[in-house]
Amino acid sequence: MSSHREAPEISKDPVADSTDVYAFVSPDRPDAVTLIANYIPLQGPAGGPNFYEFGDDVLYQIHVDNTGDGQADISFQFRFQTVLRDADTFLYNTGPIYSLGSQNWNSRQFYSVTCIRHGGSTTLGSGLACPPCNIGPLSTPNYAGLADQAVHRLPGGIRVFAGQRAEGFYVDLGSIFDLANLRPFQELHTQYGMHIFDKPAPGVNATAALNVHSIAIQVPITQLTRRRPHGVNDPAAVIGVWTTASRQRVRLWDADQAESVNSGPYRQVSRLGNPLVNEVLIPLGKKDLWNTLPPSDDKQFASYVTNPELASLLPPLYPGVFPNLAALDKSGAPRSDLEAILLTGLPSGIVPGFQNYTGPVLADMLRLNTAIPPTRKPHELGILGGDLAGYPDGRRVFDDVVTIELRAIAGATYPLVNKKYVPDAAATKITDGLTSRSVPSGYLKRFPYLGVPYSGFDTPS
Amino acid sequence: MSGPSRGDVDLDRALVPDSRPAPSRRRVLLGAAGAGAVGLAAAAVASAGPAFADTSRTAAAPAHDGGDTGHGSEVSGPVVVHLRDVRSGELDIFAGTTHTRLRDPDLASRLARAVR
Repeated sequence: MSSHREAPEISKDPVADSTDVYAFVSPDRPDAVTLIANYIPLQGPAGGPNFYEFGDDVLYQIHVDNTGDGQADISFQFRFQTVLRDADTFLYNTGPIYSLGSQNWNSRQFYSVTCIRHGGSTTLGSGLACPPCNIGPLSTPNYAGLADQAVHRLPGGIRVFAGQRAEGFYVDLGSIFDLANLRPFQELHTQYGMHIFDKPAPGVNATAALNVHSIAIQVPITQLTRRRPHGVNDPAAVIGVWTTASRQRVRLWDADQAESVNSGPYRQVSRLGNPLVNEVLIPLGKKDLWNTLPPSDDKQFASYVTNPELASLLPPLYPGVFPNLAALDKSGAPRSDLEAILLTGLPSGIVPGFQNYTGPVLADMLRLNTAIPPTRKPHELGILGGDLAGYPDGRRVFDDVVTIELRAIAGATYPLVNKKYVPDAAATKITDGLTSRSVPSGYLKRFPYLGVPYSGFDTPS
Repeated sequence: MSGPSRGDVDLDRALVPDSRPAPSRRRVLLGAAGAGAVGLAAAAVASAGPAFADTSRTAAAPAHDGGDTGHGSEVSGPVVVHLRDVRSGELDIFAGTTHTRLRDPDLASRLARAVR
């Protein structure tokens, strides 16, 4: 998955497990960037009576680097607190919830937003209400309207939302984790001699009926860049974005009080910038370490990006389908295309009219050129589809990052750094067979852009 | 360059201390103390209590990490002590959002005796 359960330790700590990060110039407000960090993966909508919520003991952050050193110049911190109206009922709600102030809503969550800028701290908002989870038509009637009440306006033209959303990331997990047996090409898979599949099949979206918890903040561009940018080629137009979750160093189970006791400094336990980096590129033995480090320390992981294991697996898994990729792998040439896309950004002159280069520091961040306006008719393959406003120029909620990264790893982007290289025909076709239309909830055209979460009543399993 | 993202060390100074209410009584939670050199002792107290007071003279200068609250002053939340090594007396003390490491063989041996 993008980053759902991607490392051994964080897979045991869902409330601190970042799943996706998005950063894009807001289509309905092009002077502002929207940043979204998703947590708590794979939520079954009917998962009550203790429905999903952010961790009160987790420090969530969205970071922005506007100087290209892989360290945060601006961090937005989000801290949550759960409040019970009545501790003597087992119910999440005792009647319909028509508003965020409803007396029928028992287990509520509030949060604060703090901006850290060059070491200084400013509280942007506190006591901000999250919406409830989407339970069903009797408990949460008119859920969309209820969630709209949880879009808060903060000083400086900032908007914020934190709460449940429909999972917007689409992926055929079942096929990918079954030895990369992509259904649209399954008849070409080696199948280890079992001859199970003799024709292609459509992809299956494993996240189609699942929810996630989103932290979304919309900030005027000029508050994120180091100065007002002067056009696409201005280095100041590019920002790097990632999210982290941190926990205090000590956590004890106080059996006398039946509660956890937390103490000590916060330490990072989860990190996410580009989708699928820790998931697919970093080896098992280093995933937990990767999660504890800032992007500025990513040089030590660069070899896993420039020599990706998956690129070496595709040719033997699909015999005869990727001969050029096999030769490229065999040559030992580093995949400088992947390094540029994931760790430095693309300099000017590679893709006409585009750059999101942040300098030589190797750092996994989503890199967004804030001077590129939103596309009126976006292409979900982003730059691969000729749409400069899509991934890897930041990431929009509907971008098909699985297909984009599969094709990049398969060699489709290697001509960016070596014009003599001819990608295999399959490299421009490989996909897990899904598109943004595979997401039943769809997406919103306005903040917070991710769709209305699936309700427990309508999605019981 | 600011260091907020770098392991969140510097951020701790800006963080609000744990908002849990202070425990109503002094209590000591004892966890998995090893038979040999390493053990864990966790104390939830409102401030440095008598058990710690008379050992401070022998303690090596503490090393702080993550803030300046909690050392030598009232602590509103739990204080957790991790006895890393009985022989050397190396202890980690966690309070609020701070971490202090000190070396105090006398305190270490007394903690070790308490869990035997």
